[in-house]
Amino acid sequence: MQAIKLLSKHRKKTFSFLILLGIATIGISLSIGSVSISVKDILKIITHKIPLLNTLIKDEPIQKYQLIILNLRLPRILLAMLVGSGLATAGVAMQGLFKNPMASPYVVGVSSGSSFGAALAILILPGIFSVPLLAFLAGLGAIFLVYRISRRNGKVPVETLLLAGIAIGFFFSAITSLLMYISAQSVHYLVFWMMGGFGGRSWDHAVTALPFIGFGIPAIYYFSRELNVMQLGEESATHLGVNVERVKKLLLIFSSLITAAAVAVSGVIGFVGLIIPHITRIIVGPDHRILIPASALLGGIFLVWCDSLARTVISPVELPVGIITSCFGAPFFIYLLKKR
Amino acid sequence: MLKIEKISCSLDNTLILKDVDFKVNRGDFLGIVGPNGSGKTTLLRAVSGILPLIKGKVYLEGEDVSQMDKKKIAKKIAMVPQNTFINFPFTAMEVVMMGRNPYLGRFEREGRKDLDKAKESMILTKTWGLRNRKVTKISGGELQRVIIAQALAQDTQILFLDEPTAHLDINHELEILSLITRLNREKLLTVVLVTHNLNLAARYCRKLILLKKGEIYARGEVEDILTPENIKSVFHIRALVKKHPLTGSIYTLPIYFNGKNKTAKGKIHLICGGGSGSSLLRRLWESGFEVTTGVLNVLDADFETATLLNIPTVGEAPFSPITSESYQKNVEMMEGSKVVILTEVPFGEGNLLNLRAVEQALKEGMKVIVINKIPVQERDYTKGKATRIFEDLRKDGAKLVKNEEEAISLIENEL
Repeated sequence: MQAIKLLSKHRKKTFSFLILLGIATIGISLSIGSVSISVKDILKIITHKIPLLNTLIKDEPIQKYQLIILNLRLPRILLAMLVGSGLATAGVAMQGLFKNPMASPYVVGVSSGSSFGAALAILILPGIFSVPLLAFLAGLGAIFLVYRISRRNGKVPVETLLLAGIAIGFFFSAITSLLMYISAQSVHYLVFWMMGGFGGRSWDHAVTALPFIGFGIPAIYYFSRELNVMQLGEESATHLGVNVERVKKLLLIFSSLITAAAVAVSGVIGFVGLIIPHITRIIVGPDHRILIPASALLGGIFLVWCDSLARTVISPVELPVGIITSCFGAPFFIYLLKKR
Repeated sequence: MLKIEKISCSLDNTLILKDVDFKVNRGDFLGIVGPNGSGKTTLLRAVSGILPLIKGKVYLEGEDVSQMDKKKIAKKIAMVPQNTFINFPFTAMEVVMMGRNPYLGRFEREGRKDLDKAKESMILTKTWGLRNRKVTKISGGELQRVIIAQALAQDTQILFLDEPTAHLDINHELEILSLITRLNREKLLTVVLVTHNLNLAARYCRKLILLKKGEIYARGEVEDILTPENIKSVFHIRALVKKHPLTGSIYTLPIYFNGKNKTAKGKIHLICGGGSGSSLLRRLWESGFEVTTGVLNVLDADFETATLLNIPTVGEAPFSPITSESYQKNVEMMEGSKVVILTEVPFGEGNLLNLRAVEQALKEGMKVIVINKIPVQERDYTKGKATRIFEDLRKDGAKLVKNEEEAISLIENEL
């Protein structure tokens, strides 16, 4: 009994730490960039915008800084936070669903579908909103296809799901390559998009992704105990009162919604959905009731830092954030493989 | 409590269960036995609502299982599968706590009652010491005990066990099954145990269902089910069925038999005694020869072996010398044998007539093989009489060999 109390105390500590780390991350990343802005100024600008509190601010903050913080950095950082949390949560769900620590939100073909959608949009009707829209729809289309292929007698065996996901993924990647091949002039834009990044993302993007990711994370959290029990195997989970097929279907829907939305607004950012669940599991253990919220927090924090690096490391040129996440992700992943 | 009404079930379009029909009452300890692929595990999966039925119904306390909520079933039936793989490093305690899942509301945390239940089950299964260990780092047998603790923590009236002790060493097997027997007796826990191990089933179960190719071949009390006839018909082996003097339970001892036509390989008569012929009797019998033996005293080790294997034997009263009547029967028994074998039996006045029988065999033109590693002089308690007859046998053409292997290879070559 004592041990369990101690454990939950330890978890509370971890949470408080992660939340503080998140706030600090937002603060620091707001201040760094091609123009350095002090934390004091940032606080001023933000309080200035909040009703009631703004009476405390006597002098108007510098207009130029206001613009940078409120219109450029804040939406971008919040979006990175949102996407990182979403991908990490979807990653936990996929790893739990497949009972395989090597699974990621992309294994079931959503990212390949989205890339195809984006390629199609760039080719046929390029536009600020057509690309995310088509990417989102094609991502969901891909998972729908994968699900239909895997379904047999009302059941979806995870092995089939995984293989069908890989097959459909390859298929869409091939078509995307074909589209790139025949449309030489847009290749650069598409490649850049596929590497993933938050360059030039605005409040619109954040607001577009918010409902899907904002709904998806708690929806997955809702099934955290089922996810725990499902680690014993699907039949054992059924014997413990879990309606496995229903939970599988819903988890697949929620993580696909999150993933498609994330990819639509920020491209295919690799490794967040794979390594964040791993790292979090090492810190808080495999209990999904803790793992899901902790992964969401850590995923958001990680991606904000990666994005801050992406936009400052060779400033004023921006790197696609996917390069940064993979640069950190791949070595860590190899380390995990070796440690297994 | 459980009523299974003529259920049929198929996997990948192959019919696995056909019209299986039985009842389980409160406090039963039912064993489901049968060979691999006879549908034992499928039966458990079908009864607990995992597999869809193509025919029939399963009623749990009067309710149709296929229509029941999974959580409701989980409060009544717990299942221990053959093996469990867990990829993520949960602690043993966390895994046992998962057994409380059916009782918890959506966002409810495990409370004092759940903790107590988990602790109690872990102490019973001797896994309390493992509570903080990661299930990815404990042995298969330890994990299986943790899973059994989980099933007990589930606090159900019915417990399904599917080969639960396949991964356990003998002392934990004994411990777990004794524990389950105790829960069955004291708390009227209803147990359904699936196993291919007949002795395990005989020892712990009170009733058995014997499955053959997806159908119930026999059902009833252990003594009525585990008969050599049933075992032969379902497992295609011959088995001895005896009551164990220590446990009082029935136990079976399978004997390999390749099933070849006995008369086709020829008849062999063995003259032995004092255990000198037992293993040769068995080996010849297993190789498919028609074997006879005699004269043997009742209670002699070789006599016991022959009886167990159903080998025709000329018997003599215990500790008595061979009478001329028995000698005559023995000579008659020998008739038609292609080979007569004499093992390294010690000779006294009482069994000299057996040596005479070998002499007779040679006279009648049968091949005689004599195993003689220990020289006959050393086992002659007749003041040289046996040795003299022995010498005659050698002169008349009996083949001397060093051991059983030589004897068998000689026979294989001759016949």
